[in-house]
Amino acid sequence: MNSQHIISVFDEEEKLLSAIHKVKEKGIKIAEIYTPYPVNEAIEAMGKKSRFTLAAFLFGFAGAVAVLAFLMYTAVFDWPINYGGKPTNAFPSFIVVTIVLTILTITLASLFTFSVRAKVYPGKSFVMPDERSMDDKFIMVFNKEENIAIPIDLIGLLREEGATEIIQKELQPLI
Amino acid sequence: MYKTEVRGSLIHGNKNYHQISSDIIAPIDQPIPLWWKAAFGVSMLALLYGVIAIYITVTVGIGTWGVNNSVAWGWEIINFVWWIGIGHAGTAFSIFLLILRQKWRTSINRAAEAMTVVAVGCAALFPGIHMGRIWLAFYIFPYPNTRGPLWVNYNSPLFWDFIAISAYLLISASFWYFGMVPDFATIRDRATSKVKKAVYGFFAFGWTGSTKEWLRYESLSYVLGGIAAVLVVSVHSIVSTDFASSVIPGWHTTIFPPYFVVGAIFSGFAMVMTLMIIIRKLYKFQDYITDSHLNAIAKILVFISLIMGTAYATEIFIAWYSGSDYEMFTFFRNRITGDYAFQFWAMVICNAFIPQLFWFKKVRKSLTMAFIISIFINIGMWYERFNIIVTSLSKDYLPSSWTTYNPTWVEIGFYIGTLGMFVAGVLLFFKYIPMIAISEVKGVLKATTLNPTDNKISHHE
Repeated sequence: MNSQHIISVFDEEEKLLSAIHKVKEKGIKIAEIYTPYPVNEAIEAMGKKSRFTLAAFLFGFAGAVAVLAFLMYTAVFDWPINYGGKPTNAFPSFIVVTIVLTILTITLASLFTFSVRAKVYPGKSFVMPDERSMDDKFIMVFNKEENIAIPIDLIGLLREEGATEIIQKELQPLI
Repeated sequence: MYKTEVRGSLIHGNKNYHQISSDIIAPIDQPIPLWWKAAFGVSMLALLYGVIAIYITVTVGIGTWGVNNSVAWGWEIINFVWWIGIGHAGTAFSIFLLILRQKWRTSINRAAEAMTVVAVGCAALFPGIHMGRIWLAFYIFPYPNTRGPLWVNYNSPLFWDFIAISAYLLISASFWYFGMVPDFATIRDRATSKVKKAVYGFFAFGWTGSTKEWLRYESLSYVLGGIAAVLVVSVHSIVSTDFASSVIPGWHTTIFPPYFVVGAIFSGFAMVMTLMIIIRKLYKFQDYITDSHLNAIAKILVFISLIMGTAYATEIFIAWYSGSDYEMFTFFRNRITGDYAFQFWAMVICNAFIPQLFWFKKVRKSLTMAFIISIFINIGMWYERFNIIVTSLSKDYLPSSWTTYNPTWVEIGFYIGTLGMFVAGVLLFFKYIPMIAISEVKGVLKATTLNPTDNKISHHE
């Protein structure tokens, strides 16, 4: 369902950051922030944390176990071949393939996770409150209904903080 | 950390964010220049020559090559290792500098990664076709087959190689693509034509630049960076085991893995330098690819060149110190002197001596000199592979199997074909993909711009 949003446009990263600080102080809920490059303070202000490293570790662990198990199964149990009398369970030489395929597993699985979690995939329909946010503008968006209980002149506050434009329009829910 | 007061600003010309987008996207928006068309035409001709050579190889067989029972690995393996080496630096550059948080990587990483993907693609062709019957190439996959099932030999470095190269190609291509997604979104949002908007919009995967996306983007790039750094070291170590795990004189050595990795990074960095000088000149990107960027690459090259020189000296020393007649023969009678002395000295001079000119600031500052030296390094690195492969194989333990090796026109054609493929790939990259990572450059702009007021403070009190 569409709802009324306030879109504030900033020209400078510093002004955006100070506005974020002020807005949060007053207890106003920010719907989303759009920046042309990653701004750590803005990411932190949205209060999100990523557990990618843990996920990558788990992918790697699972990948390593799976690859080693496959090598053991095929080379030792299913069809042992005598290579000049060497042991079929040639563990040290399995390690090379295991390392490379573990890295491959981590990369592909992490990319897939990224695509799912950040909702970035081909053919995605998306809402972009302002088209300039990947060029040179820093955009902070508020959902009007979410902040209806707070008796503050939000638009005045944003102007005071240096927002160059403030636009009000109906948007689909931001994903 | 990048000390702006000490090293000067990273991006020149007092740019703002909008200018950065416009400058970098300009080559995509402008009509195709004449030199581009001419270069593309020439590269296509070279590629055509390569396709003919490959066609002959596949239809007639490996007998059309100059390889023989003694020198069973000829130009194909030389060129394979050479391309992989070049393909190494893109990722090495991007990943190591990412992990070390070197801000100057931002102007160069995109082109270096593009170079990697194209070069590894060229490299992968050689072993594929060298196997003989390309239509049976899938036999190298360990899949449940009707031959037993007979699985592949996991102890063979050639199998490791196959795994390493395919994984490297997949990983470097996905790392490269993943980094481009935000930039495609920038192009999409600025595009005025419907077609362009739709095409770049498709490749941008619905990227909006929200904190949700950036948070994961940042975490993922560090995870991939950390994990691919291991791959950079392992891939070329694995390539070196193709040689080092044999018993051929001159190959049977423990120095090979580090020596190959360093050599790969050396040739790759040289190619990055060649490419950056060309991009800078043709597209007037001197505000982004500044003198200090090229200076930094030159300094890395001089350092790696010293390692290369040390590695050559170590090999020769160990040949003598080992007391093995065969090693002594290979190094002193078949490399330093003998039939292949020219190739040996070309390698030493191009790799260990000529890059030493970068000690002089004047040479580092001169684009022409830097360009020429970077080309010399690439030639030298080609000769290094020639040395390793041909000198060792042509004269092994049995004088009765000694022989000489000369490539046929089919082999030369195959190599020229990959050169054409590389140039064509790079040209397509110039035209359709932002050559510099737009969002990354924007991210470091503020932190690395010299503020006039700061400048005054940093002077002597």
